[in-house]
Amino acid sequence: MLFSSIVFLYYFLPVALLLYFIAPKKFRNTVLLIVSLVFYGWGEPKHLLLMTASIIIGYLSGLMIEAFHTQRAKKLVMAASVTISLGFLAWFKYTDFFIENFNKVFGLSIPLLKIALPIGISFYTFQILSYTVDVYRGEVPAQKNLINLAAYISLFPQLIAGPIVRYSQVENELREREYSFSNFAIGMRRFVLGLGKKILIANILGELCDSFRASGDKSVLFYWLYAAAFALHIYFDFSGYSDMAIGLGRIMGFHFPENFNYPFISKSATEFWRRWHISLGSWFRDYVYIPLGGNRVKKSRWFLNISIVWLLTGLWHGAAWNFVVWGLFFAVLLITEKLFLLKYLEKSKVFSRIYMIFVLLISFVIFNSADMEEAVSYIGAMFGEGELPLVSKELGYYLKDYGIILIIAIIGATPLIKNMVLKIRENHTAEIITDCLEPAVLVGLMLVTTAFLVDGSFNPFLYFRF
Amino acid sequence: MKHKNIIVSTVMILFFLILSLFAWIKPQDSFSRSERRKLSQLPKMSFENLINAKYMNDFEDYTLDQFPLRDEFRALKAQVSFNVLRRMDNNDIYISQGHAVKMEYPLNENSVKRAGQRFSYVYDKYLKDSGSKVYVSVIPDKNYFTAGKDRLSLDYDKLVSDFKAETEFGQYIDIFDCLQIDDYYRTDTHWRQERILPLAERLAKAMGTELNINFTEKTLDRDFYGVYYGQSALPLAGEKIKYLTNQVLDKAKVFDFQNNREIPVYDMEKAEGKDPYEIFLSGPLSLVTMENTLSSNDRELIIFRDSFGSSLAPLLLSGYGKITLVDIRYIHPDMIGKYIDFSNKDVLFLYSTSVLNNSETIK
Repeated sequence: MLFSSIVFLYYFLPVALLLYFIAPKKFRNTVLLIVSLVFYGWGEPKHLLLMTASIIIGYLSGLMIEAFHTQRAKKLVMAASVTISLGFLAWFKYTDFFIENFNKVFGLSIPLLKIALPIGISFYTFQILSYTVDVYRGEVPAQKNLINLAAYISLFPQLIAGPIVRYSQVENELREREYSFSNFAIGMRRFVLGLGKKILIANILGELCDSFRASGDKSVLFYWLYAAAFALHIYFDFSGYSDMAIGLGRIMGFHFPENFNYPFISKSATEFWRRWHISLGSWFRDYVYIPLGGNRVKKSRWFLNISIVWLLTGLWHGAAWNFVVWGLFFAVLLITEKLFLLKYLEKSKVFSRIYMIFVLLISFVIFNSADMEEAVSYIGAMFGEGELPLVSKELGYYLKDYGIILIIAIIGATPLIKNMVLKIRENHTAEIITDCLEPAVLVGLMLVTTAFLVDGSFNPFLYFRF
Repeated sequence: MKHKNIIVSTVMILFFLILSLFAWIKPQDSFSRSERRKLSQLPKMSFENLINAKYMNDFEDYTLDQFPLRDEFRALKAQVSFNVLRRMDNNDIYISQGHAVKMEYPLNENSVKRAGQRFSYVYDKYLKDSGSKVYVSVIPDKNYFTAGKDRLSLDYDKLVSDFKAETEFGQYIDIFDCLQIDDYYRTDTHWRQERILPLAERLAKAMGTELNINFTEKTLDRDFYGVYYGQSALPLAGEKIKYLTNQVLDKAKVFDFQNNREIPVYDMEKAEGKDPYEIFLSGPLSLVTMENTLSSNDRELIIFRDSFGSSLAPLLLSGYGKITLVDIRYIHPDMIGKYIDFSNKDVLFLYSTSVLNNSETIK
């Protein structure tokens, strides 16, 4: 079930919240678990079994790690649990990729298994992994209550698209949460703004990307427009979804970690990954990069560690070579920055941002390509390969058609509006006026997003495949 | 701050509560007049459709189709798209010169080629050695007149040139210059019968016949809201359907082979239906004959046509003893030999650019 759907907004969510808030506090995790299972099972009932199995394995592993006294036994259980969880992920996500490449290398024709990817498996697997490893490290106690752990792993606001919430981040809130009008209002505001970002910006820019792909009238600048539209599309899509998740969590008393912090204003790839998909970046840092030795090793090993992390980051996003190349593209950028570039980038205000926008557009073209062949052809076309004209009639039309949306998206991708609102609210009268306007703005936004949902059928969510 | 949070929370709770309750208790509608389609109904739950998630998919369709104030929400979306986001079109429909126009784009060369090949098949099967004279003609869609430099449109020269290349067996009759944007309904794809007499004369002259163009103009009482009215979801004004009649048409015998029945030239029952344009020869039918009972002329015309032909054919009847209309979107060409004698006839392939550019429906 998508957050950005009528069935979620006006059927599931009101019932889920009603049941949640009328339930006595001690049963709220149970209610949360039940509604989360309905939420997950709505789209893929058959994969409920897989998620349930993953939860039970995670639960038993935690208990066993804590129960065993020897480090060796604890490590064995932790390793077994991690292997099983990653085994599920590998089977469902990477089997066909492996077979395909095995066939290519050895000239075989082993048939693909065409295994359907369970929604959100990459997200909940990483949550289970973090829980198991954290219990092993002694950073958190094992959760004795199966319902609490199951509610954490299946928590519907962040189940299918993150942010990747670590057990340690919500451990206390699983026991006791604060319910207040403040949490409800802040959460609702965040949810509605996220929904608006998704429906009114991301979906519309997604249509522009589709129009580009279907176009028979491409030009060099049209390729650049596509690259910009896709970069903005994926940002508003994913950050909008994260906003909705964080908002829903807040309504129910949880404080989920932030996942985005205006990544397009970054001056370097290093900074970009502190601002983009923060929960994934920090997960890889804490569970892969640092255990590998991080930067406290020889330079060559340090760069190898970076490459491994970014290879895995690429693969996490999808089982295809373009994702691998996308990850390694960032590894190269990060290594280059660490070698010499970063100090120059940090000094510059304009050049560094132009550099970042440039490399980000290239990176997202690789990211969104069907395969590497397409990625190479698209990037070539952006630099004039193929004797394409500089401009085309379609480019002119789509610039006019999507001009306002693109401007809104570009401005919205910077902290400009947020800073303006904060500045305006420094004046007491303006603060009162904005406070009075807020409910009307939120209702207006809900009406408009509902109108777009009722009218349109274009509503995919990109991060489903991850 | 505290009060503000209470107000925001209360307003949003009330918003979701009211709209959700409305959605839950609203009786189901079976048909959308504005979109001219049946609406999804509440699916029946079964173990099987729950397991394979079909129930969920059907339920989501149901929630979209049955959402309260659906037309008003669609209108809101159109207004925001045009007036706030300054989009050039809404669902590919835009407003120009008072007309709702579909932006037919891009040119689908394979589709045009396919249409030509299907007509060639008919020619080879029935017309090659029949002694019939064959004509082809293309009707421009409204985007031809309104797109200008700002909007995307088909490459009409290429479409016509490709089509002519595929239908060299027929003499091409150019009618593009007989039409202007106001010869079409403002809210619909079709042309207005009362405005296409010069075009009918152009065709008749090219086919070597003369028409009696003395008609009486009549007007339907009910306002007409064409297909683009619903698609655009904009508050467009209704318009009137006018139709032309004379003694030839009053005395004409029209037979619908699809349903094996006589029908009137102008079917007034259809005037109250979902698409009042269907008053012209009762709408989409696979095979219809019109006999001119007042004519001593034994010339016959066979028109391979789409829906534009329904309003044109009555204007051509005075030039012929009989007109046969065939819509090979609804009947396979292999079947028509049972009903039509193709010897020594005038045969006209008359299709709109919209159908040629989306010819997958042609059998």
